[in-house]
Amino acid sequence: MKASVNWLKEYTDIDISASELTAKIGAQLGAVEEVIDLGEKYQGIIIAKVISCEKHPNADKLSLCKIDDGGAAKDAARDENGHIQVVCGAPNIREGLLVAWLPPGTTVPATADKDPLVLEAREIRGEASNGMLASPSELALSDDHSGILELPEGMPGEDFAEKFGLDDYIIDIENKMFTHRPDLFGILGIAREIAGIQQKPFVSPDWYVQNPEFPGIEAEELKLTVKNELTKLVPRFSAITMSNITVRPSPLWLQILLSKLGMKPINNIVDYTNYFMYLTAQPLHAYDYDKVKERSESGAAMVIRKPHKGEKIKLLNGKEIEPRSEAIMIATDKEAIGIGGVMGGSDTEVDEHTANIILECANFDMYSIRRTAMEHGLFTDAVTRFTKGQSPLQNGAVLAKIVQEIRDNAGGKVASKFNDNHEKEFGEPSVQHIEPDFINKRLGLDLDIGEMQNLLENVEFRVSVGEDLEVGNPFWRTDIEIAEDIVEEIGRLQGYDYLPLDLPKRMIMPVRTNDLLALKHQLRSTLAKAGANEALTYSFVHGNLFDKAGQDKKQAFKIANALSPDLQYYRLSLTPSLLDKVHLNVKAGYDEFALFEIGKVHGKSEFADDKLPKELERVALVYANKSIAGDAAYYKAQKLMGSLLYQKFAGMRLVPLAGSEPINHVMFTQMIAPYDPARSALVYDFEKLLGVIGEFKPPVRSKLKLPVRTAGFELFLQPMLKPRLDSYSPLSRYPSTDQDISLRTDRNIPFADILNALDTALRSSSPEDIEFNTRCIDIFSNDETAKHTTFRITVFSRQRTLTTQIVTSLLAETASKLKQAIDAERI
Amino acid sequence: MIDEKLAEGLKERAQSGDIAVLRSAELKSLYDQLKTLPPEQRKDFGQTVNALKNELEALLANHQDAAEQLTPIDVTSPQDINAAKPGHLPAAVGSMHPLMSDQAQLLDIFARMGFSALESRQIDDDYHMFTSLNFPEGHPARDDYDTFMTEEGLIAPAHTSTMQNRILSANKHLLERGDPIAYVIPGRVFRNEDVDPTHEHTLSQIEGIYVDKGIHAGHLLATLKAFLQEYYQKDIDIKTQPFYFPFTEPSFEVNMSCPFCDKAGCNVCGYAGWIEILGCGMIHPNVLKMAGIDPEIYTGFAWGVGTMRLTMMKHGIEDVRLFQSARLDFLRQFS
Repeated sequence: MKASVNWLKEYTDIDISASELTAKIGAQLGAVEEVIDLGEKYQGIIIAKVISCEKHPNADKLSLCKIDDGGAAKDAARDENGHIQVVCGAPNIREGLLVAWLPPGTTVPATADKDPLVLEAREIRGEASNGMLASPSELALSDDHSGILELPEGMPGEDFAEKFGLDDYIIDIENKMFTHRPDLFGILGIAREIAGIQQKPFVSPDWYVQNPEFPGIEAEELKLTVKNELTKLVPRFSAITMSNITVRPSPLWLQILLSKLGMKPINNIVDYTNYFMYLTAQPLHAYDYDKVKERSESGAAMVIRKPHKGEKIKLLNGKEIEPRSEAIMIATDKEAIGIGGVMGGSDTEVDEHTANIILECANFDMYSIRRTAMEHGLFTDAVTRFTKGQSPLQNGAVLAKIVQEIRDNAGGKVASKFNDNHEKEFGEPSVQHIEPDFINKRLGLDLDIGEMQNLLENVEFRVSVGEDLEVGNPFWRTDIEIAEDIVEEIGRLQGYDYLPLDLPKRMIMPVRTNDLLALKHQLRSTLAKAGANEALTYSFVHGNLFDKAGQDKKQAFKIANALSPDLQYYRLSLTPSLLDKVHLNVKAGYDEFALFEIGKVHGKSEFADDKLPKELERVALVYANKSIAGDAAYYKAQKLMGSLLYQKFAGMRLVPLAGSEPINHVMFTQMIAPYDPARSALVYDFEKLLGVIGEFKPPVRSKLKLPVRTAGFELFLQPMLKPRLDSYSPLSRYPSTDQDISLRTDRNIPFADILNALDTALRSSSPEDIEFNTRCIDIFSNDETAKHTTFRITVFSRQRTLTTQIVTSLLAETASKLKQAIDAERI
Repeated sequence: MIDEKLAEGLKERAQSGDIAVLRSAELKSLYDQLKTLPPEQRKDFGQTVNALKNELEALLANHQDAAEQLTPIDVTSPQDINAAKPGHLPAAVGSMHPLMSDQAQLLDIFARMGFSALESRQIDDDYHMFTSLNFPEGHPARDDYDTFMTEEGLIAPAHTSTMQNRILSANKHLLERGDPIAYVIPGRVFRNEDVDPTHEHTLSQIEGIYVDKGIHAGHLLATLKAFLQEYYQKDIDIKTQPFYFPFTEPSFEVNMSCPFCDKAGCNVCGYAGWIEILGCGMIHPNVLKMAGIDPEIYTGFAWGVGTMRLTMMKHGIEDVRLFQSARLDFLRQFS
């Protein structure tokens, strides 16, 4: 919302500087987006009179002018009469005109914001020209560059900006601050608040707060019938007709005022409706009476109704739309002529031929207006205001005021009675009783009841002081509902800078930590130490990522309204999101890396007791190596996974995905979808499933452009939330002995089976007190059928020293048992 | 020299895409042979073997485009056949995501101030996202334009406040026994808007709520100031601007004095000396009521701070999109 400081001053005293005012507005009203110093922009422009005007001797379309600037310009070159020569190309230049002259050294206002053009004295086709005579477009007042601006009044030498209200500051306050404040979309409302935050009383103009008076019918009656079929959505619809209107451009001051605030001057009638909208926050609309009548069955008839099926309307913006079925249509008894509260129709627009008008001042349901605006992308000044919930109580006053203004300035006569349609009587705005203590307690302040009364009365709340504070809302404050709203008013008007900064006091009970957050932090720390890089990828994915990863998009929650196609679905697992980021990093020159992510996934098959989708917590990692030489990537991923799991789980085991029992669980199936069964495993802790690890299916690899050596894992966090496994065992007082055992077996016997067999054999070959640690140190194969697996076995007892002999014979026995169990040959 | 037949066999296998050829006993035997040769022959032989290996790799790379099925491996084994034991990647290149390490730091500060933590949801319903937060029907934030919605009408929360009602309801017993409800809520939030260097649709936020008897707006501002001073390890001034949120009354936007220039003006604060840092307010009585807490007895405050902004300012990160780009160029700078 842009506010002109000059305009505000018409309604309240402002005796602080623009920068102090801006700071105060920011602290007590709402964030200031921008302050525009128009005075600076229009600095140095002088009102001048054209004394003579002749054709330029060397150019057909140019004129050679002498102007009188009343001697205001200090350094300009003057002739013997004290006049200044300016070359001008405008067709409307003529002797006697009052013009805006930009002397050398001034900046052309239209260029001020981007690439400032500073004028100088120079020759144009051999004739001296001092500065320029400006068009409305050069003055940044409108798009009109057809000729120079003709000033209606002024003395040569007067300051142009001062004379026409351009010695002004425009303060632009963020609209979102005012989401709940219908009154602050009008200058009157902002002026009231500015008085309030300066601790000064504000008095609304009489016409705004007193009962409206309309003159009687002054000319031949222009009859209008109004039928409101939507009294719920349109609580009040007021209208009046006027005849004998002269439509013409608005007076310059009004054009300038609208331009400063970013509105386009159109003609006097439309401009007056905009002026009063900007002043009071109450949107108004003017129709051409005769066009409405032409389009009516009987007389001029207005009907407020829902759209007929398939009904279309051509709007003032030139577009034809089919309004949503619940939109509020303004129609005649035959056809639609506007969308109520949003935009008028072009068929009944006021133009230069209009002689008779209908002025509409109505109140519309804010939610209905918002939905219509959203659905059709129509964001007008009227929508901005109606969606904040304007009070229907101002309709009469605003309509009476604009009628008076048009009678006085556009030659109109009132041609109908005040046609005021509302179903219910509007009662007095509500009154609240509030204990001063209630307010002080919530602000931490110590104001007395009189101070509170003053603050509220300054902005025209009706306050009586008794035992408590009795606060009556002014009718424009439709936002005030509860005592806390008054707390806000008082805090804000007093100034939040006065709040005491005390920290809350609390018991010194320790704060309980959150296990899940702690786990996540531990995981990311562990993986980062193992050389992996934590990534965050979006929770939403493009549908084609499911296709690439072999997942079923029907299982995923689909976003119905995403702006970007990259965000169509909630992801079903983390792995594809990471795989999607492998290629770009390989391309960027990273030959070997691991990316991991900790995050939530969701699926339609998983709902919790609260009827909301379960949030499945996961960790996933993807390892990639561009070089194709080397061992399978799987083992690197397994090593990285081990860094997470070995410290937590005693019974970790890997079960080949190929040939494993199918697990009938939708989200699990989706998680393992990209993994290649021939080179992947399910991860278990004893019988508890922890996740999946492996390499990726050939189509996944090719579609996501993955190096051959890519592997990954995805694990559930839930099982990891258990307290950490305590794996400590007391040290043995006796020395341990290491011996290697190398076993030649069939190449196809899985390592886990060999290890199991070895464990079993060791255990069955040894007395109770002997314990072992085994670890694999090498796997070697030089033919297609056999492999050598070498283990280093640490043997110890907690009761005695084991001699080499004992250990050797123990291993010999173990070897012979292994021969039987898995046909293993000790080498 | 190399046995021709052996070399041909290896090449055939490479051509067929058998990645295992590079770890085959045959190739290994050539390298073993190298060790047995007299020193003067080693160089030539070594070069020939390396050339063969390079050729095999090239053949495999050609083949790779078609991405053929690889042969099964022993997934129960800790290491590949004829390969060394796999190790970790160099610890020096590993990294935590800067948003996550910063989040940990923020949660630590709040924990020391007495706040428990609970992560926010990423999918929620209308009740928690809007209704329980006193959003009037038809409020702009409910519109499709701001909030992602699933076909079922579920919502990708646009703020961590979506957790307020749950936390207040679940912890009101604390109030009854005389303790405050003090929680911080880190999480991902979503805004349906186009991305550019300063806009993201997926953001990270930390919400805070505090409810007890006698809590007023001064407590709120003092708490935020204490947090900011701890985070930046220096004196910070704050000032407020009135704001509007349906779920707080009054609502504020808090500006802090720029911690990077102490109000002197720098490019972080846009030479303003002040930085808009968070939104906050006193919890609206309707929000307390909907969680079963009597607003006549208890009052409280809430705030939400966008943590991407904090992290961007801290490190001078120029483009918000980098956070979720998974680019190692970015991530490894935080090793």
